[in-house]
Amino acid sequence: MRPEIVRIRELMERQGYVTDAPVATAVYLATALGKPLLVEGHAGVGKTEVAKVLAAALDTPLIRLQCYEGIDAAAALYEWNYAKQLLHIRLSDHESRSIDQRESEIFSRAFLLERPLLQAITSEGRPVLLIDEVDRSDEEFEAFLLEVLSDFQVTIPEIGTIHARERPYVVLTSNRSRDLSDALRRRCLYLWIGHPSLDKELRIVRAKVPAIGERLAREVAVFMQSVRELELAKRPGTAETLDWAAALVALHADAIDEEIVRETTGCFLKEESDHRALAAELDAGRLAAMLSP
Amino acid sequence: MPVPRDLVTATVDLCRALRERGVAVTPAESIDAISALEHVDLGDRVEVRRAFEIVLANRHEDVAVVGELFDAMWGGALVEQPLPDASRARISAPPLRPPDQLPPLWSQRRDRGRRTDEDEDGDPVRLRMPSDRQGVRRRDLATLRAQELETMLRIARRLARRLARRPSRRWKPSARGSAIDLRRTARGSLRTGGETTEIAFRERRIRKAKLTVVCDVSGSMDVYGRFLLSFLYALQSAFARVESFVFATRLHRVTEQLQGRVWTSALEQLAMGVDEWSGGTRIGANLAALSRDWPHVLDRRTIVVILSDGWDTGEPAQLGAALEEIRGKVGKVIWLNPLLGSPEYRPLARGMQAALPHVDVFAPAHDLESLERLARHLVL
Repeated sequence: MRPEIVRIRELMERQGYVTDAPVATAVYLATALGKPLLVEGHAGVGKTEVAKVLAAALDTPLIRLQCYEGIDAAAALYEWNYAKQLLHIRLSDHESRSIDQRESEIFSRAFLLERPLLQAITSEGRPVLLIDEVDRSDEEFEAFLLEVLSDFQVTIPEIGTIHARERPYVVLTSNRSRDLSDALRRRCLYLWIGHPSLDKELRIVRAKVPAIGERLAREVAVFMQSVRELELAKRPGTAETLDWAAALVALHADAIDEEIVRETTGCFLKEESDHRALAAELDAGRLAAMLSP
Repeated sequence: MPVPRDLVTATVDLCRALRERGVAVTPAESIDAISALEHVDLGDRVEVRRAFEIVLANRHEDVAVVGELFDAMWGGALVEQPLPDASRARISAPPLRPPDQLPPLWSQRRDRGRRTDEDEDGDPVRLRMPSDRQGVRRRDLATLRAQELETMLRIARRLARRLARRPSRRWKPSARGSAIDLRRTARGSLRTGGETTEIAFRERRIRKAKLTVVCDVSGSMDVYGRFLLSFLYALQSAFARVESFVFATRLHRVTEQLQGRVWTSALEQLAMGVDEWSGGTRIGANLAALSRDWPHVLDRRTIVVILSDGWDTGEPAQLGAALEEIRGKVGKVIWLNPLLGSPEYRPLARGMQAALPHVDVFAPAHDLESLERLARHLVL
């Protein structure tokens, strides 16, 4: 393994992010090739964490753009501070200046509200730009994003073109609720984060819930692996595993038994039909089987 | 460290083999793959493979294909084996298949990753072709009367025009909209020295709904098959955003087959790609597969149209659960049942019984007239 990849991995682990070789390689290649990294995977597998940890590991600021349905350029790039502009116009009403002068005044940077994408471009140093849940935005926004990501410059008609001094590191995440365009995909490196292996999940539990006993940690990890094999509407992610482990610690459990599973099912299963599916397994006396790896 | 020349050639070969398998690799990505080689440990096979997966795959389904072809070309599954020199890689590269022998692209996409018995014998890039065991019956679907198709297209176009409109969360300027547009108001006030004399308005944009159509092509639907498929085709050509699926025992996405082609060649593509016309039906399992494997065709702006008679050989409970899940994700579920056209029909099939609670509209679809009446249901 390349020493740089080992180093990235160490840096990420030091931030408390349990990682594996594919994640470290993808992050390293994204930084080395200077390309955006598209991270896909089920909910709760730690996609957003990749960007956060990368920023912490490189000790650069993290700029986050949370996408939502209907997000547009004004919310992502910049917006004029209209209230301030109107106020300024009124206050400077009696001064004898030409309209041109006053216009150039209120369309200056002092009246500009920088949104995440513009922040990432104007930022000192090389920030990490996280474009979270890009699948929630619509196709028009995606096309706009593509433009910004390809040359990292923004033209504001009243001010001019702003270039990024250094290209930010870009991480995009998607839950696959909508298929992203091929054009966007081609611009990015691709990383799929699946549900963690038993070993990785165990390491995550130990790292994130330090108060947990060794026996309980192992049982939680093994049990969650079994749960994911059931026919479920929503398979629980690592986030759910951690919630559950923390809940068990709070309940002072030191091992898993049927009663405590029934009481705390809500920590890791969020659908009524899934609760029924698990209850059926427990009724059939399969808890012991689910606790053996 | 510069990348050895023969390794570059081998990488280009890999990209070409990927394109053969339906993974769209652009020249820019080939170049990235070669640059990536400068950044990984060339003595570590697994790491090189991982780098190719990261650079060349664009979606989850592609990752396995990249890995598979890499293994095929760089030989052996041994983990610690160093990279062979690329002259060997070239020899072990799969022979390129002449284009006319390629099965349609989409069946590759659905079938890849699945290994057949023959694959185990060491020809890992061979594609799964429709086998005799599954009883291939290529149907003559192309003989739909020209006039009938014309009518069908006309109806679909009319449906498309009337199709549900729903406000989007985006704004557009308007003469007298529902909200004030501060941006334009501020700009306009400059003209009058800061005094706001005219208020600019904005309103929500209108956004059309999307359609996801799932058509049953199992044995019991035989009679209606061609009729409904032509409806599918007509919808596809009239609407901008339609996703089409057909199923009998397995689910197939046929959007690309039906797109921008002449009807006859679209049908040929369909008949070639789907290897199980008129087999048994597993509606529940296929609807479950739809919501599991194609999450992006099901969202709140989507209307799902199911064309089936409800004769399910699977468990009714599964059908109910699958449909409930889909119902939770989309704007509306419409079930069109050709049998409903007959006055004696009662939806007694157990599958149909389980499905009905999760269906918004249950309507007939046996003739052109019934399809025309569909328009008023396509509202979100």
